[in-house]
Amino acid sequence: MRRGFVPVYRVRDSPLHTARAGATAALCAALALTCAVHAHPLILLGVVLAVVGAGCAAGVGAEVARAARLSLPLALLVALINPLLYAEGETLLVRGGTFLGRRFDVTLEALAAGGLAGLRVGAFLMVFGLFSACVDPDEMLRVFRRFSYRSALTASLATRLVPVLARDALRMSDAARCRPEPPGRLAVARATLSGALDRAVDVAAALEVRGYSAAGRPRSAHAPWSRHDLSVAASAVLIATVAVAGRVAAVGDVVEYPAFEMALGPAEVALTVVLVLGAALPFAGHAARLGVARA
Amino acid sequence: MPEVLARAQRLSYAYPDRPRPALRDVSFELCPGSFTVLAGISGSGKSTLLRALCGLVPHFHGGEVAGELEVGAMSVRDHGPGELAAVCGTVFQDPETQVVMGGVRAELALALEHRGAGPAAVARAVEEVALSLGVAHLLDRRTDTLSGGELQRVAVAAALVHRPALLLLDEPTSQLDPVAGDELMWLLRRLNEEWGTAVVIADHRLERCLPAADRVLAMEDGAVVCDSDPVSFLEWAQDGPLSTPVARLFSLAGLGPLPTTVKDARERLRGAGLAPPAPDGAGVPAGRRERRGRRSGPPPAAEAHGLWFEIEGGPTALRGLDLRIAPGEKVALMGRNGAGKSTLLRQFKGLAEPTRGRVETDGEVALLLQNPGDYLVHDHACEEAGAGALAAAGLEGRGEANPRDLSGGERQRLALEVVLGAGPCALVCLDEPTRGMDSASTIALVNRIDGLAAEGAAVIVATHDTEFAAAFAGRIVLMGEGVVIADGSPAEVLAGGWHFSTDVARVLGGAAGALTPEAGAAVLTKELVT
Repeated sequence: MRRGFVPVYRVRDSPLHTARAGATAALCAALALTCAVHAHPLILLGVVLAVVGAGCAAGVGAEVARAARLSLPLALLVALINPLLYAEGETLLVRGGTFLGRRFDVTLEALAAGGLAGLRVGAFLMVFGLFSACVDPDEMLRVFRRFSYRSALTASLATRLVPVLARDALRMSDAARCRPEPPGRLAVARATLSGALDRAVDVAAALEVRGYSAAGRPRSAHAPWSRHDLSVAASAVLIATVAVAGRVAAVGDVVEYPAFEMALGPAEVALTVVLVLGAALPFAGHAARLGVARA
Repeated sequence: MPEVLARAQRLSYAYPDRPRPALRDVSFELCPGSFTVLAGISGSGKSTLLRALCGLVPHFHGGEVAGELEVGAMSVRDHGPGELAAVCGTVFQDPETQVVMGGVRAELALALEHRGAGPAAVARAVEEVALSLGVAHLLDRRTDTLSGGELQRVAVAAALVHRPALLLLDEPTSQLDPVAGDELMWLLRRLNEEWGTAVVIADHRLERCLPAADRVLAMEDGAVVCDSDPVSFLEWAQDGPLSTPVARLFSLAGLGPLPTTVKDARERLRGAGLAPPAPDGAGVPAGRRERRGRRSGPPPAAEAHGLWFEIEGGPTALRGLDLRIAPGEKVALMGRNGAGKSTLLRQFKGLAEPTRGRVETDGEVALLLQNPGDYLVHDHACEEAGAGALAAAGLEGRGEANPRDLSGGERQRLALEVVLGAGPCALVCLDEPTRGMDSASTIALVNRIDGLAAEGAAVIVATHDTEFAAAFAGRIVLMGEGVVIADGSPAEVLAGGWHFSTDVARVLGGAAGALTPEAGAAVLTKELVT
């Protein structure tokens, strides 16, 4: 079976999968928040380590690796474009020419800032990969449906139909190869689009006969919090608190221009360690219990 | 519950911008707990009637309605599909486009959540319907990991989760293999018998539906032309396109009354002193027979030598397969899903490279994949193929028609002419060409295959349809786990089979290798004479 390149959710027996979608989403949001408020490479590497550790412990290491592979070209692009667009910084590495009245110099500071921006993009996408692999989209959409029922259902449909349409396109491309004179790409693309519209009409009909037009706002469920819900939510709160507190306390400050300066002391190391341990928190008891069960 | 679940009175309907009505003066009543089969060739109005019963006609499709249709005491004119959904659940042809959510549990819960049911009620209903329909083991699966049969069962469960009194199904088995199709029919029968759910089903495989039915509505050109019980329907349909193979066997042999099931047929034969041989346990079907004799003949149209195909990160589809096909030979490639049939056809066409081994062909290869609509990419039929090809497809004078507006059979004929192109082909490969086709289109396809073979092309058809295979093939190749497990004439392979067998062969116990109603009738007539 050909695997898609985007990580997808599969039911697994891990704390991140067992916990309510809101809790696991909050953990991912806390890690993303850390990426947003910190530019320090050690802290970003801490986020990456936390994601990889949590992903492996949750059994979605392959999905996280796929997200990392997906993020690599984008991260490299960001890292390479930044030094070409920003000529600020005191340490000139390459003196470029003038083009359209603008100087194109490459500085060490712009290069370092680009590298950090690339690392940040990579970390973000890996967090998103963890989210995609561990959070049940149906449950997540159920959370959002309380606020906007129809929009959430449309999003759900889009999520469901994207792989179906991708398969349709692949089939049509195979069929085009079977014709003695293959039609132009435009004709195939147009037919694929028409097919997608046909599918959309069929799905709309299916929704209609299941009462979509008479649908009201769903009632909220008050499920009790499980230990996994609590541990994952506690981990999310811990990571978000430490990240914000660290930012307020100027831990992990990075000054990129005009000269690159970066704090690197016990506070940065401590923040990174707390991040990694915080992401591992939901698995602490689980690993011990698994060991007991295996024994 | 009202005494009449649905009532149509002189119902007529025309789709927007279509001059011809899709329904004409349709009148009937449906009672609670009934099992009704809608019979008719493609375009006879079955789907439109089902869409009217669930309210999609006219609320979703538009168009003009005359007459009256009430479902659950609600007029379809005044109540849309959302309201009618409280009374009827609907299942369509393609399972892919009626499953909405990513997970099975969420999918089953959707209809109840639409009605504002509380979480506890939703959870209970989901559990109950999942257990009752045998999909409890799928509850935590993602819908994109389900097979077609599993998806269709989930779609039925989703349509029934709110316990509607009426279940409408529009060709639910057309996209499924025979095993999944039979399982679905058993499920519907159980629903009808145990829960009293009224079922209305449109399907081309009448032999599969009639045993469960207590009523048949036959439609022609938008009108109900026969409304009776299954036995009377078979008398009415005698030798026509809606007849079943077993009924045609009896009709041709001059026996009556016409049976609706294989079991009925065997009992009636026994009653008439024409007892078919009972299964004795010794009839293990023949395995592969080496066809060495063919090697000394003319060069083959296509040949596979030690063909392996290992899907990256997936199963091994072909395992050292050897197959030789002579020019003009008509081969039916059979086997369960995943046996490697489609993979082999793709190898012949060169759509995939073998992992090991090689494929040799003696000229051009044409391949028609499962969905003929995929081949039709233009707005007019005349842009897809020349005048000669349109004529061969039986579409003279319809060159300006949009291929999407053609019937399934017409689309398939046009797609076949498209892949055949201008020049002669050494090998023509067809993948599941009879899925969702009515009997008239199937007969037209058999004739076209005969014509291609007469022109010297070898034709190889991957199919689950044993009746179709018996009708066209001169050789049956049965595949299993990526290798050939039986290879012989239709009589050798299908007459002794259990699953891979025709209804006529089942009735006659494989006597004289009779597979088709005509051959079976000849055997019975001979028995009657002696």
